[in-house]
Amino acid sequence: MRLGVLALLAAVWLSLSGPYTVHEWLIFAFGAVSVAFVWRLYVALDRAAGGGSEFFRPSSWLRLPRFLVAFALKVAAANLHTTKLILSPKIELHPRLRRVPASQKTSFGQVLYANFITLTPGTITLDLRDDELLVYALDAESEADVMDGSMDRDVLRLEGGSD
Amino acid sequence: MNGALDIVTAVLLIAGGLFCVVGGIGLHRFSEFYQRTHAASVTDTAGAGLMLLGLMFQGGLSMVTLKLVLVLAFLFFSSPAIAHALVKAAHGHGLALELDDPGRDGDAAG
Repeated sequence: MRLGVLALLAAVWLSLSGPYTVHEWLIFAFGAVSVAFVWRLYVALDRAAGGGSEFFRPSSWLRLPRFLVAFALKVAAANLHTTKLILSPKIELHPRLRRVPASQKTSFGQVLYANFITLTPGTITLDLRDDELLVYALDAESEADVMDGSMDRDVLRLEGGSD
Repeated sequence: MNGALDIVTAVLLIAGGLFCVVGGIGLHRFSEFYQRTHAASVTDTAGAGLMLLGLMFQGGLSMVTLKLVLVLAFLFFSSPAIAHALVKAAHGHGLALELDDPGRDGDAAG
């Protein structure tokens, strides 16, 4: 029944404002198939990841600007620090590996946190397992940026968890 | 007005270009694979980000700027995924990390 209504509405819309030439029909068909394919992929991925759609609630979108500002500031600071390391006359790195707890509830949140760390020059996420990240850092200062937990809290806040 | 926008764009483009060069220099100066990924991420974030921002000032409030924002959004997801895939593959296949203090959390744990 619902499918019938859908087909009827689609037919009415198509005949009134849809594509007319063969060329337009082709483009329209390709577009429809693409949308269906991507939607199918999204549903399958969401199921495989065990959900994460909490992030797509409007309340999450409202918190996005604040996260993006915090994100941009931290990435900018890390870029300056790494640039200093690169351009210093003598390259002095003290690379280290650390286990960092990822306290986000959803796998999407944990991946976002891992990506946040990777996007910050000076630190990179090697692995994510059992709510823990394996982080490789260039030196003590880069390590401190992650270990103080402020990035973890940024993502937590976006997720809607307690501060 | 237009002149001011052009200057802002020019400054951002040059700054972004400089960060791209810095990333390239780091790629050469750092001595091993894992360190070099950090240099590359300078190009990915500061380099690409500043250049796109500079171009947005030329686009104004238009579809062009919307598309530039989308490019930034795609980079936000694709660049860490690629960096992570690279280092995880290297780590998983046993490319040793040169660590200052291998004792504390141990490479073997990974």
